[in-house]
Amino acid sequence: MQLNRIAIGLACAVSSVFAQPGTEWPTYGGDLANSKYRPLDQIDAGNFSQMEIAWRFKTDNIGNRPEFKLEGTPLMVKGVVYATAGSRRAAIALDAATGELLWVHGEREGDRGAAAPRQLSGRGLAYWTDGKEERILYVTPGYRLMALDAKTGMPVLTFGKGGAVDLKLDDDQTVQPDLTTGEIGFQGAPVVAKDTVIIGAAFREGMTPKSMRNNKGYVRGFDVRTGKRLWIFHTIPLKNEVGYDTWENGSAEYTGNTGVWTQISVDEQLGLVYLPVESPTGDYYGGHRPGANLFGESLVCVDLKTGQRKWYFQLVHHPLWDMDISSAPLLADITVNGRAIKAVAQPTKQGFLYVFDRVTGKPVWPIEEKKVERGTVPGEWYSPTQPIPTKPPAYARNGISLDDLIDFTPELHDQAVTQIARYKIGPVFTPPVESKEDGPIATLTLGTASGGTNWPGGSYDPETHTVYVYACNSCATPISLLPAPPEVSDMRYVSGTAGRPVRMMAGPGENAGADSPLPTRTAGGRGGRGAATDGGGATATASGGTAAAATADGAATSAAPANSAPGAGAGRGGRGSGATVGGGTSVQGLPIVKPPYSTISAIKLDSGEIRWQIPAGETPDNIRNHPALQGLSIPGTGQSGYNIGTLVTKTLVIAGDGQVTTTDQHPRGAMLRAYDKENGKEVGAVWMPAPQSGSPMTYLWQGRQYIVVAVSGGAYSGEYIAYRLPENR
Amino acid sequence: MRRGGRVLAGMAVAAMGAVGAAQTSRSVWDGVFTAEQAKRGGEISERECVTCHGSTLSGGEEAPALEGGTFLSNWTGLTVGVLFDRIRTSMPQDDPARLTRQQDADVLAYILSLNRFPAAKSELPAQSEVLKQIKIDAAK
Repeated sequence: MQLNRIAIGLACAVSSVFAQPGTEWPTYGGDLANSKYRPLDQIDAGNFSQMEIAWRFKTDNIGNRPEFKLEGTPLMVKGVVYATAGSRRAAIALDAATGELLWVHGEREGDRGAAAPRQLSGRGLAYWTDGKEERILYVTPGYRLMALDAKTGMPVLTFGKGGAVDLKLDDDQTVQPDLTTGEIGFQGAPVVAKDTVIIGAAFREGMTPKSMRNNKGYVRGFDVRTGKRLWIFHTIPLKNEVGYDTWENGSAEYTGNTGVWTQISVDEQLGLVYLPVESPTGDYYGGHRPGANLFGESLVCVDLKTGQRKWYFQLVHHPLWDMDISSAPLLADITVNGRAIKAVAQPTKQGFLYVFDRVTGKPVWPIEEKKVERGTVPGEWYSPTQPIPTKPPAYARNGISLDDLIDFTPELHDQAVTQIARYKIGPVFTPPVESKEDGPIATLTLGTASGGTNWPGGSYDPETHTVYVYACNSCATPISLLPAPPEVSDMRYVSGTAGRPVRMMAGPGENAGADSPLPTRTAGGRGGRGAATDGGGATATASGGTAAAATADGAATSAAPANSAPGAGAGRGGRGSGATVGGGTSVQGLPIVKPPYSTISAIKLDSGEIRWQIPAGETPDNIRNHPALQGLSIPGTGQSGYNIGTLVTKTLVIAGDGQVTTTDQHPRGAMLRAYDKENGKEVGAVWMPAPQSGSPMTYLWQGRQYIVVAVSGGAYSGEYIAYRLPENR
Repeated sequence: MRRGGRVLAGMAVAAMGAVGAAQTSRSVWDGVFTAEQAKRGGEISERECVTCHGSTLSGGEEAPALEGGTFLSNWTGLTVGVLFDRIRTSMPQDDPARLTRQQDADVLAYILSLNRFPAAKSELPAQSEVLKQIKIDAAK
């Protein structure tokens, strides 16, 4: 108790200092428009490289094992940094100037946490205040919405039941098979707008669904004061609702997924919410859901107060490529041909930026239905057309032709041509194939599962009306299908490669969170699962900061050493599906496509034109040092990877490298880079011990600007690092 | 005093450098596993690793690639022992205690072979301390 009081005192002291407006970072994306923009200018082109580490916060002990996939972007309000962290996915509060831990709150969810489809630390949390009370909201791995007192980290007992709303309940469906193991969760940051908390849903990865039947990912609004459900939007329409008839043969009744797992944007003034909806059940096979499948892979606008649909636009009819809509819609007030438009711009995996009038849903530039190839997988339903924007042009490579293949030398190109002959290649929307050993072994295109822009999304600069967005140009995911063995799935086809057994593919963080069994090898046996019951929460103070972990699961366990942890690590490079095919997507260890492997683009929304585009990040060591490339002049290639997010300030675009390199200029590490937002020229860089794994944010506190970024991956466990300029420059 | 301090610091750095060099005198280019061991590891990988890392370990949904540029980026400059410990204590993700030390070493041999490091006549050992003397270098 004494420690509790000390921690509370600390937090209050910090909070009482007046913060200048516009200098905080109160939501995941900086604001509800998800701009990831702040007009701060203390750190600029002239001094970026002089930044030093102000503080760092290692997340290893926030949970019972380290995590290697820290994806969070913190908030900063009134001198306190809030974030989710660790394999426990606890909420933490840190002093914005020093990084001192003020409080930590973790939930032990036992079997429910261990069964969660989306474990580990998640991407962030939400802050709310009415001017008096301050709350922090986050979703646990077991899919419970927590409301905490922002000053103390203690649950707000008047919210939901004891501070939590069980999101598996009151969802217009009975989550199957039961509340403990029912597949549904959420790893994103909640959004709060005008006293309404909006929560989406996420599921296991969809390459090998256990069944064509699954829980549905409805979106709900809750009262931030009480936790009472205010509204629900059925992402798969109920009978008699608009869109139900786009699920033929009654498939809306049993198909699931179709959640909103990424960030939601809100225009509070208009009272409108923008929902980027993901794929329905079965990432690559839709034979059990014939029809266009509204509102799968649709941008849906709903009323903030009621959840009533205002407009929608389906980006992909009958989704078959795992395109989802993977990132936050960017709300942008622009001027096109002299006309002011309140717009929404949607970056995508497929490398198109879809731009709409956000009031009416009408495309700002025509989006045309174009005929696309019809596939041949038995039982599949194919949409004859797909919508293609006429403007802006695609900002990422979203298909593969022979012209896209590696061409550093004629020999490498010839080898690539030979290798790729086993695949069906083609432009965006090239359909998946049934895998055959004599070919095609898979469809190989770009702009699918891990291409283009993924969950970190883009940034929007309201001063210049420019979207800045990272994209992967080389994250090619071979897509192939095989008949599903009954013991794997009741679906007719799932991901699989001819000549290999069909296996259930696991997703990020499955069985890797703090409620999952611990490695107990040193104790001579396998660890037991914690005996904690659902809802067993713990709040610890600064001094007792790791209590949530230290008093965790009941069975005798030994913590993993610092260099170890379950967890998939931060995924970098093109992810392959379960159907990834032997060595086919690299040529002598080099990407099969030519550089740039990734880019950052500046897209002017007033004109719909790409103003500049640059390779993102240092040329990887294995390219620079590759024996086949010695003597060649290789321009900057950028790095393959799909989880890089950007931050925009008054003058800079800031993004870190997604891979570790070692060069003459810096020791082994990754660089956090600054680019001139006018022309994309790199103007500064500082060293990070590991790749950027969560998008950077910035704030001004007590007269000093900070940039905070999450790093992790490989052997390096999760850490938040805060940079600022030295005091005596 | 100031000068003395600098000399001492310099000595410490030199000493650490020498120790470091001695500890990592071998590299993955020196033939640190056998083809037979890599084959055994491949069979284990087929059972235990591909569900997350993809059927040829070129990356799963979000599990990192264990071959090619991404793998080399993550591990170049570190030692085989660091990678072994990471596998040993955390993989496979759904039951990190399932594999024996020997099986982990075999899987590691397979991963090294996938990345085109040469096989030779002696097997990769299964002791972290020994493996920490073998450096991972992307280039020879």
